[in-house]
Amino acid sequence: MPKSVYIHIPFCKSICSYCDFCKILYNEKCASLYLDNLEKEIKERYKNEEIETIYIGGGTPSALSIENLEKLFKIIKIFNLSPSYEFTFEMNVSDINKEKLELLKENKVNRVSVGIETVNPKYMKFLNRYNYKEDVEEKITLLKRYFSNINLDLMYAFQGETLSDVESDLSFVINLKPQHISIYSLIIEEHTKLYVDKVKPIDETLERDMYYNIIEILEKYGYNHYEISNFSLPHYESAHNLVYWNNERYYGFGLSASGYIDDFRYTNIKSINMYNEGIYKHEEEKISKRIDMENELILGLRKIKGISKKHFKDKFSSSIEDNFDIIDLVKNKMLIDDGENIYIPKDMLYVSNSILVNFIGGSND
Amino acid sequence: MDKSHIRNFSIIAHIDHGKSTLADRILEKTHAVSEREAKAQLLDSMDIERERGITIKLNTASLKYYYKGEEYLLNLIDTPGHVDFSYEVSRSLASCEGAILVVDAAQGIEAQTLANLYLALDNNLTIIPVINKIDLPNADIEKVKKELIDLIGFDDDEIVLTSAKTGVGIEELLNRIVEKIPSPTGDEKAPLQALIFDSIFDPYRGVVISTRIFNGTLKVGDTIKMMETGATYEVVELLINTPKEVKKTTLTAGEVGFISASIKSISDVKVGDTITLAKDEAKSPLPGYKPMKSMVFCGLYPIESSKFEDLRDALAKLQLNDASLVFEPETSTALGFGFRCGFLGLLHMDIIKERVTREFNIDLITTAPSVVYEAILTNGDKILVDAPTKMPDKTVLKEIREPYIRTSIFTPSEYIGPIMELCQNKRGIYVSMDYIDPTRVNIHYELPLSEIVYDFFDKLKSFTKGYASFDYEMIGYKPSDLVKMDILLNGEIIDALSVIVHKDFAYTRGRCVVQSLRKSIPRQLFEVPIQASIGNHVIARETVKALRKDVLAKCYGGDITRKRKLLEKQKEGKKRMKQVGSVELPQEAFMSVLSMDSED
Repeated sequence: MPKSVYIHIPFCKSICSYCDFCKILYNEKCASLYLDNLEKEIKERYKNEEIETIYIGGGTPSALSIENLEKLFKIIKIFNLSPSYEFTFEMNVSDINKEKLELLKENKVNRVSVGIETVNPKYMKFLNRYNYKEDVEEKITLLKRYFSNINLDLMYAFQGETLSDVESDLSFVINLKPQHISIYSLIIEEHTKLYVDKVKPIDETLERDMYYNIIEILEKYGYNHYEISNFSLPHYESAHNLVYWNNERYYGFGLSASGYIDDFRYTNIKSINMYNEGIYKHEEEKISKRIDMENELILGLRKIKGISKKHFKDKFSSSIEDNFDIIDLVKNKMLIDDGENIYIPKDMLYVSNSILVNFIGGSND
Repeated sequence: MDKSHIRNFSIIAHIDHGKSTLADRILEKTHAVSEREAKAQLLDSMDIERERGITIKLNTASLKYYYKGEEYLLNLIDTPGHVDFSYEVSRSLASCEGAILVVDAAQGIEAQTLANLYLALDNNLTIIPVINKIDLPNADIEKVKKELIDLIGFDDDEIVLTSAKTGVGIEELLNRIVEKIPSPTGDEKAPLQALIFDSIFDPYRGVVISTRIFNGTLKVGDTIKMMETGATYEVVELLINTPKEVKKTTLTAGEVGFISASIKSISDVKVGDTITLAKDEAKSPLPGYKPMKSMVFCGLYPIESSKFEDLRDALAKLQLNDASLVFEPETSTALGFGFRCGFLGLLHMDIIKERVTREFNIDLITTAPSVVYEAILTNGDKILVDAPTKMPDKTVLKEIREPYIRTSIFTPSEYIGPIMELCQNKRGIYVSMDYIDPTRVNIHYELPLSEIVYDFFDKLKSFTKGYASFDYEMIGYKPSDLVKMDILLNGEIIDALSVIVHKDFAYTRGRCVVQSLRKSIPRQLFEVPIQASIGNHVIARETVKALRKDVLAKCYGGDITRKRKLLEKQKEGKKRMKQVGSVELPQEAFMSVLSMDSED
């Protein structure tokens, strides 16, 4: 039973060089039409389950005008929200203002995620993202008056970046005292400006040093490293994202959104014109039990605590060991089995694909 | 058909001198194929042949040709062109009375032109010299004519000028075949003697034999007997290839064709054996072939160990029409169960590897090719060492000998310097140099065979911009100061990476090998020390650094499907690698041990 909802708002006011999400430049009319179709899609698919987490991401959801935001929140009222819900809304620094924050607050948003990425002027042009320290400080201070569960996103591993550059971005963000920090190494994905510009990734050893340095600093400041790229103060883990990593069911609504309902993982169409003509779904794949078990490991081992052996056995009526050959991995210290959980040790996190690749192999029938 | 109207012949040439195109033109000229069917190079029926432009498997075509109003049957027996396949060439030639010697009008005589010519002369064949590609802008017909006259001793008026591309001279060539090549002799009433010169395995017919009838008559329904193996079968079909299959009721002395007799057991048919009739046996078999000695050995191991039996089956099927392939089971601590295979040369090895992978769908790891050494023990025994791991311990070893070859390197004289330098670096001993004309020479060196199995030919080509051609003959064994060099990964000796090297070159080789291994072994999750050692003495060391980063930084909702694809791709890459102890090795790593290019 799905208990989570992801809603994609594909509009942005400018395009960042690294972004390979589905996005288009903001247009008031187009956005309004989009919301009409979003409503239709939700009504078509949603079966009134109780919803524990909602995540509105993008794109830039905060780029919507007040009118369109009101329209969006009216749609959200369709959902039957659980009493202990988490409702996250993604914002750009420049969109943070009293009016929008009040509207969010009135409409049950209780968690805000802000993309900072960097406050170092050296890399703003590179990312095509301009968040100056002074602005960020002012806006986050305002934001904190309304919300007490805030995530800030950071990035690292830009061309030319040094360990101390990473540290100064990081200490700036720590000083803002958010409840949650996500920090990602830059990935040069196809179909991005960086890729077209043939930007090369930085030296792997340096990148690895940055990563482990980040963990050390954040842990020192009381942030709990709970997923490869995510940190939080105690009890502020992202409940919504944990649904993904726990391989649980969720709805995805909107352009290019994906979801996992019953035995199907599906992805919506990526063309705004087709979406606005009422064609939502693009492809779906039936998930066999074997693939589901593989996904349980591939996703679950992103969590620092790993996977509960008992939970796995309860869920699939068969143990991890019965389905995967983990003896050698445990012997070679690529996996730790502490009796209750199976997890990837910290020093192996940055090469975790080399471990996960051992779990791939099932066919989807 | 009356024997006097049959001509059996082959075409011999240096590689790329246009043999296959000439064969195609002959087929067209004799109307054996319509233009529509005239796919490029018809006789090369295997994919690999067509891709590599090399004729590997023998093929025979029976063609009708009218000369002065009379019908003749021309049997064209195709031969492979590469030096590695001289054994198959001689098999083909034993079934012919004549051979067309093709020389490229721009290249002139090359190393294999001579090698193949000598094979033909050994078989007492009538030779028709042909200068082909006369349409080329850089053709130098007079110069090539002079070479044929001066070097081999042909008369000016014997030489036929052709362009297989445009068709010029083909008719003259066909007439010359009828006029000059003797018709086959033999008595159709005598007891049957038919030479098996090739065979293939057909999934529907079983083993199909290519044969030349020397004496007697063979009919459908006859019970035949293989004189060496003693096996008997009833003839189901007799066929000729025109090059469409045509069924015949009889084959008589002088004729060439195919026999299908529901032969299921591959080992009953030995190329070179003589077929006779069970009820009227010939007194003696035809002279067969000397089994060709394998020159190069290597281990073939299935990447998936469960495919060992499939590999055995594949090798047995390939051996059927490639008697020169030998194999026996071998066990390696590092690689598990596989086969030690013997080949005529490197190209032969490559082709077998490729056919196993392509036709039988078995992914392989091959160990570095090695030659056969002779070890003389202190007790006087002589043993053959065809794998480095079989090298006897030095306490019982009196002497080790290695096979030497004598080269013929045809080259424009401006490349003499680089070629001599190359040969010196390969432990060569200079013998002599013959000037073919003021601008071309034939250089003779004596070289250890082990030095040419790896990159000699590639280097020769690159040093001479492709102008040099190369052929060699075995001249026997010479004592040599050789030692076994072991390679250790993570402190463990990997038997499949051991190699036999000359003592004086061991340090340099050791350094090259570990450097090359460092480059070919992908980063692993842990640091991998690579060492080269002789005895217990480490002579070179490198380290494969540990993998630093292999992570999906971001993975949310829809990413799982995409990320799975990434992992699946990664897994495919892993599949092509062999887990050896704790290290994953790609195929290139096994060839690295032959590396001779140092970084410093």
